[in-house]
Amino acid sequence: MRYLIVLQYVICRNFRNLQTKNWLKLVELVRNKDRELYSEIIRRYQNKLMRYSRYLINDEDKAADVVQETFIKAFINLNGFDTKKKFSSWLYRISHNEAMNAVKKYHKEAPLDLDFDIPSTDDVEGEFDKKEIVQKAHSCLDLMPIMYSEPLALYYLDEKSYEEISDILRIPIGTVGTRINRARALMKKVCQK
Amino acid sequence: MPKINPKLKNSPAERAGKKLRVNNHKPDLEKTVMEKIKSGQIEMKPKWYFVAGSLFMTIGLISLTVGAIFLTNLTIFLIRKKGPGYGRLEMMLASFPWWIPVLTVLGVVLGVLLLKKYDFSYKKNFVFIVAVFIISIIIAAFAIDYFGLNDIWSRRGPMKRLYQQFENQGTTLPRGPGRGKNW
Repeated sequence: MRYLIVLQYVICRNFRNLQTKNWLKLVELVRNKDRELYSEIIRRYQNKLMRYSRYLINDEDKAADVVQETFIKAFINLNGFDTKKKFSSWLYRISHNEAMNAVKKYHKEAPLDLDFDIPSTDDVEGEFDKKEIVQKAHSCLDLMPIMYSEPLALYYLDEKSYEEISDILRIPIGTVGTRINRARALMKKVCQK
Repeated sequence: MPKINPKLKNSPAERAGKKLRVNNHKPDLEKTVMEKIKSGQIEMKPKWYFVAGSLFMTIGLISLTVGAIFLTNLTIFLIRKKGPGYGRLEMMLASFPWWIPVLTVLGVVLGVLLLKKYDFSYKKNFVFIVAVFIISIIIAAFAIDYFGLNDIWSRRGPMKRLYQQFENQGTTLPRGPGRGKNW
């Protein structure tokens, strides 16, 4: 049984590495040979980026504009992508910047009455199981400030690791953990109203 | 003409409609972007552009650091030469070239802004990085003063004129007939 788990882990890791290598190869191909292969990248990421942008700006059309602008900017700056890093994190970072610009332009962030202390060390996950958080996150994200809703959404809905979220939001890994923990506590308070 | 039931606003059908609308974006989005690429409306920036960008950023950061060290040292040097021990405090304050420390602060601020562009700035504690950056500048400036390098520069070498100009500023009598007299 133990060997099976180890074997499964090794296969998964190799599969992930293979996927990453394939994506890097694809990026290299788009950069150097065939620009039309960029459509593969669009196809692969548009749903994810659409979902991500949608819970940042809550507007279908503007989210579509953000995603379109993301792909355009990513293409223009494709030669600036460092292949040592994760392509998806790079793409999400561009999308984050575009979405933030759109938020500043069109929306005023919903003010939230935060007159209570949120202990960052609380194990709120113990009270909320992961499925419940994912379920609640869909309906509660709009009610939370972006500062908390974004890492929460990236972690639970996009299944990004702390390191990836740190690269996307350009904040330390420790801060990612703190914000996610606070977001859970906030969700508990906001969603149960 | 069928009536639209207001209760159906958030019905599965409505939600499906929403989804359909989202899906409608997909081919459009891909098509729009690819058309722009194929028609040459958007072009990929060349590799050298990014290489030059990071090179200029590094050179800029190094120049700002060296400049800030030099100006901090010049401030220390001038305080030592013109300080209260050597004359009246008011005289020193009046004749002190204040643009030097102002420029130093500006250099440090620009340096910090450039530091923020690097990836390590968010992976490590940025306040700590900034503190190390500022303390290093101050230590380097004091080290130059301690080892007397600025005294050497003020006596010989290409910076002699610059140092002497600041050193003598406000301490020498103005030139010209009738100038400097106490009327």
